[in-house]
Amino acid sequence: MELSGPRWKGKNFAQIANSNPMSEIIAQLQVCLSNSESAALPIGTDFLLETVPELTKLLNRTSFGRQLTTSYDSKQYFQLSPEETFYLHHFLKCLKVSIDNAKLIDVNDFWNFMRSRSELFPIYYRAYVHLRSKNWIVKLGTKNGVDYVVYRHHPALVHSEYAVIVDRENDKGEKEGERMRVWSDLHCAVRACNGVAKAVLLLNVMGYEVNFNLPELLERTIVDERQITRWVPSQCRDDCKLEGNKGEHH
Amino acid sequence: MDGEEVSKVEGETRRRRKGKGKERGENPARNRQQNNFLPSSSLSGCQIRTEVSKARWVEEIGMAQVIEKNGSLWATTGVIRNGNLYCHIEEIGYLAQIGALVLLDDGENVMGLKDIFTKCADRRYGCTWEFFEAYRDLKSLGFIVGRHGQPWSLKHDNLKPNSNFTVDTDFIADRIEELQIGAANLIFDIYKPNSKFKKTDPGAPSFIICLVGDWPPIRKEVEYLEEKCKLVPLKFCHVNHGDVRFFSFPEVSLPVLP
Repeated sequence: MELSGPRWKGKNFAQIANSNPMSEIIAQLQVCLSNSESAALPIGTDFLLETVPELTKLLNRTSFGRQLTTSYDSKQYFQLSPEETFYLHHFLKCLKVSIDNAKLIDVNDFWNFMRSRSELFPIYYRAYVHLRSKNWIVKLGTKNGVDYVVYRHHPALVHSEYAVIVDRENDKGEKEGERMRVWSDLHCAVRACNGVAKAVLLLNVMGYEVNFNLPELLERTIVDERQITRWVPSQCRDDCKLEGNKGEHH
Repeated sequence: MDGEEVSKVEGETRRRRKGKGKERGENPARNRQQNNFLPSSSLSGCQIRTEVSKARWVEEIGMAQVIEKNGSLWATTGVIRNGNLYCHIEEIGYLAQIGALVLLDDGENVMGLKDIFTKCADRRYGCTWEFFEAYRDLKSLGFIVGRHGQPWSLKHDNLKPNSNFTVDTDFIADRIEELQIGAANLIFDIYKPNSKFKKTDPGAPSFIICLVGDWPPIRKEVEYLEEKCKLVPLKFCHVNHGDVRFFSFPEVSLPVLP
C-alpha cells in the first residue's frame, strides 16, 4: 500500500505537533528525571517508577511507559518496558535504576543484568535506539502482531504509520532471526497491518555478535530499514491504464 | 476472487438491492455458478473469440512459430526473429486457455490444452508451472510481459529464415540453469499497458519480476537482485497453488523528526 503521509487525528494537530517538537519535550523530561530522586525498580520483566505530577506529565507527553491507574493523588506509577528503561538510563542518561536495593551506577552492570534476563534484549534495544534517536515515538506493537508501532508525534495527535518487525543477521549477511522465515509470515504481517493503514517496516540489525559489549552494539551494528509492501496488479495506480488494447482483453 | 470478480459481484449486489433489472437474466453464468456450487475460474469470463490465431510448435527451438496472425494482441505478444513471429510456451498457454490461439504440432494435429499445459510445466522450454501462472495473472490484467533480458525483436541478416536460432536455444539453456527450485530468478520485464508499444523499441521496462521459491528472500538476496536490475523497480512474486502474489521490499529511510 502507498502511504500518503501521516494521518493526523484532528484538524490542527499537525500544527500543534510542529509547534511542540518532540526533541524539546524529551529535553524537558531529561532535566526533570535527572533532578528526581525516584529510581526504577524491576517488576516482572518490566520496571516500576514512582513519579510526581510534573514527571508524570512529561512521561505522558513523551509517551514513555504506561501509567498505572491508582486511587492515589500525590504519587503516580509508571510501568516501563526494558528498552524504555534502558534508553532513559543509558541513552538519555537521566533515569536512576535500583536493583536489589542498590542504586546501580555502572551502566555495564545494568547491561549485563538486562542481557541475563533476555538473550534478544540487545537486538530490541538496538532497534529501539534507532527509532527513538530519530525522535519517533515507539510503543509496543502486540495489538498488531508486530514488535513496535511508531508514531510521528504523540499518539493522541497522530495515527502510527509503521508497524515494525525486528530481525537480525550476522556480519556475513546471514539471516539469524526467526522473523519472516516463511511466506505466511509475510502474508500475515502485511494483511494485518494494511488493514489498519500501517506499512510494515522491517528493521534488520546487521553485524551483531553475541559477545558485543554495549558500545560495540551501538557502534558496530547497522540497522537496515526496508518496507514490506504487497503490490496488487489489479489495483495499479491511475496512470496505469488497464483497459489495454481493444480486442486483446475481455 | 480477483479485483474483476469482486467488482462484478458488487455490481450485481447493487442492482439486486435496487430491485432493477432481470436478476436471473443479467448474469446467467454467475447464477449457474452459484446454483451448481462451481468454483470461480482462474480467468474471469473466457469469451468465445472470433479472432483465433494459429501457431506451429518447433521442438528444436522450444517455441511456436505463428503461422496465422489474427487480432491486435500480437502487438504486445510474441517475439520477432528474422522477420518471423514466435511465441514462448507461457504465451501459448495463456492464449490457448482464452481460446485466442490454436497450436499445431509439426503435422496438422491440434495440440490440446493438456499437452500445452504439460509443456508449460516441463522446464525444458524455459518455463515452469508457477512461471506460467504468474505470466497469466499479469497478462490477463493488461500488462505487457516479456521474458527478462530477452529482446522483443532480433534480425539475423546472415541467417536463412528456417535455420536454427542458436541465440534462443542458448538462452533457453541458460534459463534451465537459472530456474532452480527454491532459488530466486529474474523472470519478466513488465511494461504498463501501452497502445504505442513497439517491439523494435520497447524502452526500459516499468519493472522486473523476480519469481521466488519456497522461502522469502533475505536482505542480501534482495540487494543482489536490485543491483542486477539497476534502476528498474523490482517486484517479488510468490506463487502458491495458483495464488499469485507480489511484494516489494523498498529501502526506506525514516526521517529524523524535529
